[in-house]
Amino acid sequence: MMEQWLESTPSWSNIALFFGLGALLLAVVLAFVTYGILAERKVMGFMQGRIGPNQVGGRFGLLQTVADVLKLLLKEDTIPKAADRPLYVLAPIIAFVPSFMVLAVLPFTDAFRFADIGVGLLYYIAVSGLTTVGVVAGGWASNNKYALLGGMRAAAQMISYEIPLVMSALGVVLLAGSMNLVDIVAAQKDVWFIFAQPLAFLIFLIAAVAELNRTPFDLPEAESELVAGFHVEYSGFRWAFFMLAEYVYLFAMAALVTILFLGGWHPVAFLGWIPGAVWFALKFCVIVFVLIWFRATFPRVRADQLMEFAWKVLLPLSLVNIVLTAVVKAWFF
Amino acid sequence: MSGTDIAFFLLALAAIAGGVTMLQLTNVVHMVIALVMTFFGIAGLYVLLSAEFVAVVQVLIYSGAITIIMLFAIMLTRHHTDQRERQTTGGVWHKAVAALSVIAFGLAVYFGIRQLDFGADGSALSGDNAKAIGKSLYSYYTIPFEIVSVILLVALIGAIVLAKKDGKGAEDE
Repeated sequence: MMEQWLESTPSWSNIALFFGLGALLLAVVLAFVTYGILAERKVMGFMQGRIGPNQVGGRFGLLQTVADVLKLLLKEDTIPKAADRPLYVLAPIIAFVPSFMVLAVLPFTDAFRFADIGVGLLYYIAVSGLTTVGVVAGGWASNNKYALLGGMRAAAQMISYEIPLVMSALGVVLLAGSMNLVDIVAAQKDVWFIFAQPLAFLIFLIAAVAELNRTPFDLPEAESELVAGFHVEYSGFRWAFFMLAEYVYLFAMAALVTILFLGGWHPVAFLGWIPGAVWFALKFCVIVFVLIWFRATFPRVRADQLMEFAWKVLLPLSLVNIVLTAVVKAWFF
Repeated sequence: MSGTDIAFFLLALAAIAGGVTMLQLTNVVHMVIALVMTFFGIAGLYVLLSAEFVAVVQVLIYSGAITIIMLFAIMLTRHHTDQRERQTTGGVWHKAVAALSVIAFGLAVYFGIRQLDFGADGSALSGDNAKAIGKSLYSYYTIPFEIVSVILLVALIGAIVLAKKDGKGAEDE
């Protein structure tokens, strides 16, 4: 259906249609963010022997995040006197916009997908890198040493971990013979790439956690050493934009892992009667749960360990994985 | 006017506006952000020319990596963001000559490229850009490709050697 719309002649109704679809996706993502945050707090609460939010919105705290967002909206919007005003205002926008742009290439199911471009995987990596510019600019514009340190750490970390991220995904690209995410899912009809590329999956997952700035790699916003990292000076809705970008990336990254390694919307054997969307959602939820699990159980690594781990462990391993994959593909396919 | 034309004008405007803004600004960090806008506009133009791979690489390398490295370098070095006095040098004649030469250059470029023939339209390659680029890179242009990689490696090692030398000299003193 999407295909027909994309290839139809442009008109005002098309523009309205695509705008509506985009708004719909935004609504879905915002709903995910609302309940993703609640799930994170609940799961972490149970893992730490607490109950978590249980007051607002019934027994399970279903309206907790909604109340939090309302509070953020009502908060005073502060801009420090010594801050670089234009950049300070612009930074949250630069950080958020790419996070929503990357969603365009993710194929959720056979029918529900937006752009179908040949270099989809590369597009995701490239556009998600732009968020770092916003983070660094925000850290610098705040004119606060903790914010600046956080911004610097974010930049160093993002650049370092982007390399193993891409290198590990190359194994998948080699096997699928395409960078188009739809083709990559189609190539996993029989065997999911998590079984064909276990090493790549591990490297990708670790690098993904680092790219998401989540524990154990949450150095850019390490509460206990940097107060809050790059967004110390931000409050109210500007701060919410940084947080929103972070959780939209959580959504996007979990979807990307599902697409690259868990076979996207393909069902498990004999269970083909369950629709693809349900399968995608299930796999997606597993990945989100694993990411929350990591956050609740790992301590934060040191800055030097972080860099050494990326350059001395993950990068060589991913290079080995590429060579192995190439050899296997040349001999057995 | 088709949708492509509108998109072209918007993207070209974004690219040029980014460049002009960069020249007008006095703060180095602001300049880098303006530069991102230019790079992004150019990436959009590549998409219009059905070169998606080049467009994505443009965003990845220029808007992402290079910009961040530049921001990093600016932040690590001491920067003077004090409001510089905006004063121009030279009299009316200087400015008139400068303006005339700018216009002359613009005209020369315009007449130079007006009749240019770029060969066949590349839109047939749309979709599997990456495959086409890879094929020609590793079959027809293997030797230039390898030479470029060696040159880059030499530059990299040269940079490391230069940086190392500085550190040692400082230690000895």
